[in-house]
Amino acid sequence: MGKITRRLALGVAGVAGLGAVAYGASLAACRFVPRNHPDFFALIATVPKDRATRHIGRAMVASGHAPADLGALAVRVSARPLIRTALATDCPTTRKRLVQDQCSADFAEGRMVSVDGWLLSETEAELCAAAWIAETQIA
Amino acid sequence: MIIDLRDYDPQEPVIGAVCIAGAGPAGITLALELANKGIDVVLMEAGGRTYEAETQALYEGEVTGDGNTDIASSRLRQFGGTTGHWTGLCAPLNPIDFEAREGVPHSGWPIGRSDLDPHYEVAQAYLQLGPFEYDFGKWQDRIDAPALPLDPDMVRNAAYQQSPPTRFADTYWDAIATSNQIRCFLHANLVDILLVDDAVGHFEFSTLEGKTVRVRAPQFVIACGGIENARILLNCRKQRADGIGNEYDLVGRYYMDHLNCETSAILFADEDVDLSLYDELLEIDGTDLSIGLKLPFEVMRRDALLNNTAFLVPEFEDATFNNDFRNHGWVSFSSMVKAFASGKKPDRFAENYCNAVEDTDAIAVGVYRHVMRRFLREGKTVAARLRQDAEQSPNPDSRVYLSDETDVFGWRKAGLDWQIASSDLDSLRRTHEHIGAAVGAAGLGRLQLGIPDPPDLDIVYTGYHHMGTTRMHDSPQNGVVDRNCKVHSVKNLYMAGSSVFPTCGTSNPTLTIVALAARLADHLIPNLTAELKT
Repeated sequence: MGKITRRLALGVAGVAGLGAVAYGASLAACRFVPRNHPDFFALIATVPKDRATRHIGRAMVASGHAPADLGALAVRVSARPLIRTALATDCPTTRKRLVQDQCSADFAEGRMVSVDGWLLSETEAELCAAAWIAETQIA
Repeated sequence: MIIDLRDYDPQEPVIGAVCIAGAGPAGITLALELANKGIDVVLMEAGGRTYEAETQALYEGEVTGDGNTDIASSRLRQFGGTTGHWTGLCAPLNPIDFEAREGVPHSGWPIGRSDLDPHYEVAQAYLQLGPFEYDFGKWQDRIDAPALPLDPDMVRNAAYQQSPPTRFADTYWDAIATSNQIRCFLHANLVDILLVDDAVGHFEFSTLEGKTVRVRAPQFVIACGGIENARILLNCRKQRADGIGNEYDLVGRYYMDHLNCETSAILFADEDVDLSLYDELLEIDGTDLSIGLKLPFEVMRRDALLNNTAFLVPEFEDATFNNDFRNHGWVSFSSMVKAFASGKKPDRFAENYCNAVEDTDAIAVGVYRHVMRRFLREGKTVAARLRQDAEQSPNPDSRVYLSDETDVFGWRKAGLDWQIASSDLDSLRRTHEHIGAAVGAAGLGRLQLGIPDPPDLDIVYTGYHHMGTTRMHDSPQNGVVDRNCKVHSVKNLYMAGSSVFPTCGTSNPTLTIVALAARLADHLIPNLTAELKT
C-alpha cells in the first residue's frame, strides 16, 4: 500500500470539495430551471415511506377506491386545485404545505374515505395508493 | 315529618292534598315544591333511609333483550332513590330534542325547551349546580384552557355541569323531616290503586311484613323511576284488564337508555396538543364544568342524526398519565380520601370502603400513577378516545314488560327487553365521521372510526338511564300521559320522572327529571290551592 502523501491528501480533499460545490451549485441552479412536465412523483414524496402508507395504498386499490393505473390516479389527484399548484412548485416545503391544505379542504368539503376505520381525505389516501403502485411497479 | 310505616298504627286512611309514591329526585322535589306553597303532601317511599337488601330485591327481574344492561342494581329502592349512586353529570335537553325530527320516528314532545327553562332554573338549585348556563360561549372567557381550533360550522364545544353529586337522602332528609306539610312514610310499597269513576280513589301501601295503609288525596303522583312506573301501571289490572293507562298498549313501550360507549379515537398530529379543556373537570367561579364536542343542531337536522356529545378521553404515550384505573373502587377510594382530607366524614363510608377493598389492584395502580405524575413530565398525547351517552331513538319494541315471576305482594316482576336499532349506531358513526372531518379540516389529526359497518351492538352498554315507558303525547293513542304528565285516561293521576320522556336526547336525565317535577308542582298548585279554599 502506498504512502499517503501530502499531495495525495490535498488532491482528494480538493476533488471532494469541488464535487460538493458542484452538487450544491447544481441544486441551486436547478431551482431556476423550468420543468415541462408535472412531477407527480414529487407529490408521492410527501407521503411517508412506511408500512401504514403501503397498507392504506394497497387497501385503496383493492377496494376499488383508487384505480390501479398510476396514470389514471395521477390525473384524478392532479385535478384538485391545490394539488395543481403543488405540482407547479419546486419547493418541497411549500409543496407539502399545499398537499396538507388540500387534505384539509377535502375534509371540510366531505371528500373522505374510510380505510380500516381510519377516516382519511381522498387526496392523502390516493397519494398513498400512488406510492404503493409506484413502489410495486418499480419492484 | 318522617314515619316508618312498620311502626305506624293506622286507624284510618291517611289523607293529604297530594299523594306521591316514590321519594327519589322527582318525588322529593315535587314534595318540597308543593310544601313550600303550603300544600299537604303524603310522600310514600318503599325503601328505608339507606340501602336494605330485602327491599332492593324487589327490583330484580329478567333481561331478555340486549344483555349489556341491568335491571336490579342500577336503580335504588330507598329514600333518595337512585341519586344514592348517581355520578352527577348534568345538562338540560337541547331544543332539538323536543322537536319532531325527520328521520327520527316517534320524536317530538308536546312541550318545548322554553316551557322547561324556568323549571330548569329551579332544578339547578336542587342539584347544587351553578347558574343555569350551558352555552359554552358564555363560559369561554373565564376558562384558561384552550379550545381545539375546530370550525364551529362543523363541530362545537358543549358545556355540562357537575353536581357534587347531590345525594337526595342526605341533602333533603332534614327538610322533609322538619316539614309541617310533608308526611313521609318509609317502607311503604305501593300495592294497589283503586279507581272510582276514572279517578284514583286511593293508593294502598304495604310493608314487607304486611302492614297496610291507604292514602286518599285529590291528586296522585307515581314517581318511582323509569322501569317501576311502568311496572306499577301494568300490574294494576283489577279494574282495567291491560293495566292503568294502557288502553293503547303503550305502557312500558318505547323504553330508551343512553348508548354508553367509548369508541372511535382521534390521533393527533401534534403530540403536545393541549386537551386540558376536555379531559379535566374545570372549576369556574364555583361551578364544575365538563366540556365535550357536539355537532351543530343544523347539521343534526340536515343529516337526520341523533343527538350526541362526545367527551375526549386522552391516551398518553406514558401509561402513568392514563386514567384507565378509574373504576368504582377508585371513585370510592378517592371520595373517602377527599372527605378525610377536608376533615369530613365520608359519604356512605361502609359502602365506599367495601368498594375500595374489593378493587385494591386499581387503587394501587391509581396511587402509584398519581405519585409518579409528580416526578415525571406529562407524557405525549397519543390519541383521544370518544366517550358518550348517545341518544337512542324511540322504539315501541324496546320495552318493560311483566315477567311471570311474582314478588312478595303477588305483583309480577319487571322484565326488560332493551332493543337497540342498528340505525342508532349508524347515526353515531356518521356523527363521528363529522367530528373526524372537522379534526382533519383543522389539520389536527385523523380519526379512526370504532363503529363498524354494519354496527356491532356489543360495543354499547347501558347508561343506567331508564326512560320513555310512560311517554308524553297530546294524543292518548300515542302517549300515556299528556303535556302536564297526567295519565290520559285517569283524571287525577300523574307520572313523574324520566318515564314521561318521548325522546331522550343525549343529556343525562336527572336535571330534566327534577325540572319536570318542579313544573308538575306548578301545574298542581293552582288546582290544589283552589280546592283548599273551598
